[in-house]
Amino acid sequence: MPVTREVEVEATPEEVWEAIATDEGRERWLEQDPGRDVRVEVVDEPHRLVWWWESDEQPATRVEFLVVAAPAGARVVVTESVPAFPLAALAACFAGVLV
Amino acid sequence: MTPDEVGRVFAALADPTRRHVVEALLRERSTTVPALTATLPITRQAVAKHLSTLDHAGLVERAPASGREVRYRLRPGALDVATAWMRGAESAWDGRLARLKQAVEKPR
Repeated sequence: MPVTREVEVEATPEEVWEAIATDEGRERWLEQDPGRDVRVEVVDEPHRLVWWWESDEQPATRVEFLVVAAPAGARVVVTESVPAFPLAALAACFAGVLV
Repeated sequence: MTPDEVGRVFAALADPTRRHVVEALLRERSTTVPALTATLPITRQAVAKHLSTLDHAGLVERAPASGREVRYRLRPGALDVATAWMRGAESAWDGRLARLKQAVEKPR
């Protein structure tokens, strides 16, 4: 059961890439969480980036960014999911019960 | 559902044995400590402790008794965790993407 959000920005895909794919870039907008590590899995510059957020206390979540050119500059689409966590199965199970 | 409650559920499901129990309940609707013990390489006491953790997290409950057998099932409110996580993640990303936009756009 992933969550998807998107934003359009007045900047090139390359400028967005610099802000999401480097530690220095992320420091400008991503909150710091000492208990959580970013482990980058897929790097397809400048259009697709996948990282895992890993922490001791919670299941890992997977974060995927798609960056595409748009009239204003670039569109950024981010999807976060929890592969180890049976959210979708829980939802489907109870949807079946409740309908 | 508060962030603390969601955190408790995530912590409960971070353990592979407890995920196995939840998956068994999704398949079979309800189960017992002896039935679960038969499918796991751990003792009945350990299975009972995992069920108690899942109960405390609000994910499972005891089904109404039929005879002497104690059966467990998923609590209907377990779905609230999914929606609470989604709402939390959506609002967190709205904030992050607004800050990202501000960070990459040049002042005019």
